[in-house]
Amino acid sequence: MQSILCFFFPATMTVVIGFEGSANKIGVGIIRDGEVLSNPRRTYITPPGQGFMPSDTARHHRAVILTVLKEALEEAGLKPADIDCVAYTKGPGMGAPLVTVAIVARTVAQLWGKPLLGVNHCIGHIEMGRLITKASNPTVLYVSGGNTQVIAYSERRYRIFGETIDIAVGNCLDRFARVIKISNDPSPGYNIEQMAKTGTQYVELPYTVKGMDVSFSGILSYIEEAANKMLSSGQCTAADLCFSLQETVFAMLVEITERAMAHCSSQEVLIVGGVGCNLRLQEMMGVMCEERGAKLFATDDRFCIDNGAMIAQAGWEMFQSGQVTELEDSWITQRYRTDEVEVTWRD
Amino acid sequence: MATGGDSNLEAGKLEFSLDVPFPSSHEALIALRSLSPDQEPRRGGISKQLSVSGSTLRWSADEARILRVSVSSFLDHLSLVIETMEMFGPSLLCDAAQVC
Repeated sequence: MQSILCFFFPATMTVVIGFEGSANKIGVGIIRDGEVLSNPRRTYITPPGQGFMPSDTARHHRAVILTVLKEALEEAGLKPADIDCVAYTKGPGMGAPLVTVAIVARTVAQLWGKPLLGVNHCIGHIEMGRLITKASNPTVLYVSGGNTQVIAYSERRYRIFGETIDIAVGNCLDRFARVIKISNDPSPGYNIEQMAKTGTQYVELPYTVKGMDVSFSGILSYIEEAANKMLSSGQCTAADLCFSLQETVFAMLVEITERAMAHCSSQEVLIVGGVGCNLRLQEMMGVMCEERGAKLFATDDRFCIDNGAMIAQAGWEMFQSGQVTELEDSWITQRYRTDEVEVTWRD
Repeated sequence: MATGGDSNLEAGKLEFSLDVPFPSSHEALIALRSLSPDQEPRRGGISKQLSVSGSTLRWSADEARILRVSVSSFLDHLSLVIETMEMFGPSLLCDAAQVC
């Protein structure tokens, strides 16, 4: 009874708990009307040279999720009764980890008698970015290990203006990190960024922008081969390759972002997703923005990197606009386009 | 927890059924609704049916090849549901009953 009353007569304070685990990060976050009350997270880190596999990742999440959930409630100083809605990542992402997290979300939603909300992971990033930076209507560059999209809002949809036609930029960086066997702690991308700072030689790599879109798999094959040849012959260092890779792929991302901005006459750029933590990317984007008289928005690693609060925030928006996910419809999906979601909370 | 195995030689299919007793039908239903929404990773060749009768969760699948993987994964998920219920459920179920 109480939960139905909350639905038709929303309380002044709406508290949403969000569960995220679509890749190697498992996070549970709680948001109350735009305030992040807690956002604990754990990362599954593999040895150098290795990526993370779905079943191992799911096993990692399974081992820690209930502890992280407990932490989220304790840090927020809340009891389950204080929660109004349970949000979780419906997709996109890796199947096994998504299922593990969804199962816990469904179970607590039923145990606590709260409505459930399946959230699109990409939209979680966007809504968290909007909340934290207060950007009003930015062109969004969403870049992570699993996704690379340029997005702009138009008529109730987050429209994809440009994207990768093969692998995500973060995937390209992560797989290159494996080739040169650098540590995955705290993340391969972070370590590439640090190494790139000590690079002195620019190695020319393919530059593959295709109109509004980008491609990275060719660059990856090229640099993998270059690494094998040039590192052993001493033509360049791993740091030089890190530097060259960043300069190339980031320039490509800046180009397609600028193209989308021109189409939308946009004066704001928001970078979200794990690769958005990269300060060199932010710097390069900043240069382009300044040249256009536009403003750049970015968040720090608490929110760029996958986290539970971003799912809670998107869930909060969806819930306030009247959306709910029935249990039978709460299946996860590995493929879930950003523009599939009706953005009922914006005009 | 009672288990049974059967092989239907005529149809060439394997059946496996699993009865999972729960303290009450309320918990069995929660488990069912948490475990049934997702489709099997490989959709062809395996079918799974979850249902609740009384306080027992019944599960049967028919397919030789990936039966073991499906069963194993289901049991992992089931134990996660049970652990979640133990950690976040029991006392609250009584509270919910009073509020509702």
